[in-house]
Amino acid sequence: MPRAIWSGSISFGLVNIPVKLYSAVSRKTVHFNQLDARTNSRIKQKRVNPETGEEVPFEQIVKGYELASGAYVVVTDDELAALDPKAVRTIDIDEFVDLADIDPIFYDSAYYLAPDKAAKPYALLAKAMQETGKVGIAHFVMRTKQYLAAIRPRDGRLLLSTMVYSDEVNDPVTIPELADLGDIELPEREIAMAEQLISSLATDFEPERFTDTYRDAVLELIERKAAGEEVVAPAASMEPEKVVDLMAALEASVAAAKEARKRHPTAHDEVAPVASADEDAAAADGAGSGAASRTA
Amino acid sequence: MAGSSVEVEIEGRRLSLSNLDKVLYPQSHVTKGEVVDYYARVAPVLLTHLSGRCVTLRRYPDGVEGESFFEKRCPGHRPDWVHTALGPGDRRGGIHYCVLDDVPSVVWAANLAALELHTPMARAADLATPTMVVFDLDPGPPAAMTECARVALWIRDVLDHLDLQAFPKTSGSKGLQLYLPLNTEADHEHARDFALAVAQLLEKQHPGEVLTEMRKELRTGKVFIDWSQNASFKTTVCAYSLRARPRPTVSTPVTWDEVQAAADGAPLSFEAHEVLERIARLGDLFAPTATLRQALPTPTA
Repeated sequence: MPRAIWSGSISFGLVNIPVKLYSAVSRKTVHFNQLDARTNSRIKQKRVNPETGEEVPFEQIVKGYELASGAYVVVTDDELAALDPKAVRTIDIDEFVDLADIDPIFYDSAYYLAPDKAAKPYALLAKAMQETGKVGIAHFVMRTKQYLAAIRPRDGRLLLSTMVYSDEVNDPVTIPELADLGDIELPEREIAMAEQLISSLATDFEPERFTDTYRDAVLELIERKAAGEEVVAPAASMEPEKVVDLMAALEASVAAAKEARKRHPTAHDEVAPVASADEDAAAADGAGSGAASRTA
Repeated sequence: MAGSSVEVEIEGRRLSLSNLDKVLYPQSHVTKGEVVDYYARVAPVLLTHLSGRCVTLRRYPDGVEGESFFEKRCPGHRPDWVHTALGPGDRRGGIHYCVLDDVPSVVWAANLAALELHTPMARAADLATPTMVVFDLDPGPPAAMTECARVALWIRDVLDHLDLQAFPKTSGSKGLQLYLPLNTEADHEHARDFALAVAQLLEKQHPGEVLTEMRKELRTGKVFIDWSQNASFKTTVCAYSLRARPRPTVSTPVTWDEVQAAADGAPLSFEAHEVLERIARLGDLFAPTATLRQALPTPTA
């Protein structure tokens, strides 16, 4: 079960609704550790002074802000702490806007707001926002950072999306290829054709139809390697190979195996060895077990 | 020659086979190339019983003496021509299984060192309808094939009275399995109840030889009739599948005469090359399980 990462209350006007904040998204990126290839031990990074080559002790590390001149202004943790936004425990809704007015570019991370203690005021707010079709624009502080956020209803629950500030959005005019697109002349007929193509591909968005196939492939590779299988790069990434008929390919392999068996007289022994353990029912591993349950 | 791979073409499909010289059965020195060869040759009859069903792959990447794992979810790196279907799942929902519908798909699975192919009683297209009832006879030592064969003959006698036919195959391990084709309307509960009823009848008649309880400690010297294999989420080794035993034994369809002989003490176990030879001589003894239409007696209320 996910754990709440923040608790406090939503505040607007005279209303105060105690809430907790949960992540709405779990990233499933596959993470790797860096190892020494010779020993498979985890490697460690050291903070080193490049001039002396000596390791710098943790207490001697300070924050410096680089000026245009290349000089640094050193800022201490105490100085920064004095500027920290007051850790107020409220999400202040400043105004309500229409969802369509917010460009998706502003959305950052998604969280669920859950009622803390009393559920009724929470449910009331969710219902009222649903009825009016409005989204609350709010600000709040989490871990010394002040956030802008959009609060919106979804199936009777409240979602909070942190948002980037408008000065954090890059101006497209700073990207040369995007600067003068408005000057291009577009014939009506070609626009109509493009529109027709779009409507022929139009469908309802079903996010579950899309999966991270790269992640699946990486996990699959890991699973196979963990199971001890030698993993060779897929043929597509290699030089084009000579393609041979299956049976021709097997003929050589089978002949080689037969030849090898002649050198292993025990392999001819036709007396069936005593069975170790019965495994007939082994596949009956039930519905509850995993997709690829491992056995020893 | 570790890591060596060869690009092959089969029925118009391209496939990369790897490590064909790797020994998968160390005691009998059988290589992966020979495993692939067996599956390619047996595929035409194997597919009668395998195609259209969700298959659980039991993979032995390091051979029969190494670690193995059951793979229900069809690997993401499969070629796009290997079919999949939604089948019985876990707590998180259904699982997309491989469905091996043609020779290239069977060869592909063999190349993954999927020595054992396990299938449910129902087809993927109709998961609620088992196409057959299985009686899985599992001997508790010192009971062995001889005792299994005797119990199989008793089951046949019971089924005879009900005008029902069953078809025997070795499990490829130590036991025997009888398949009673349905190919009509049926459900898993009825199939399981029927198998249990027949098993309990025999347990009553032969309490010293037959067991219907799962517990292993009771099994000494008896034959356990595993009726529970008829559950929708359970799988049983497919006819003509190899087994990961010291020798490359196969779950082999056999004749009732052979079962009779086994009950009198004759050995009843076949390896890959013998199975291919039997198919050439006897055809597919298990073919009727795919077509014969039989209905289980309706339980009286």
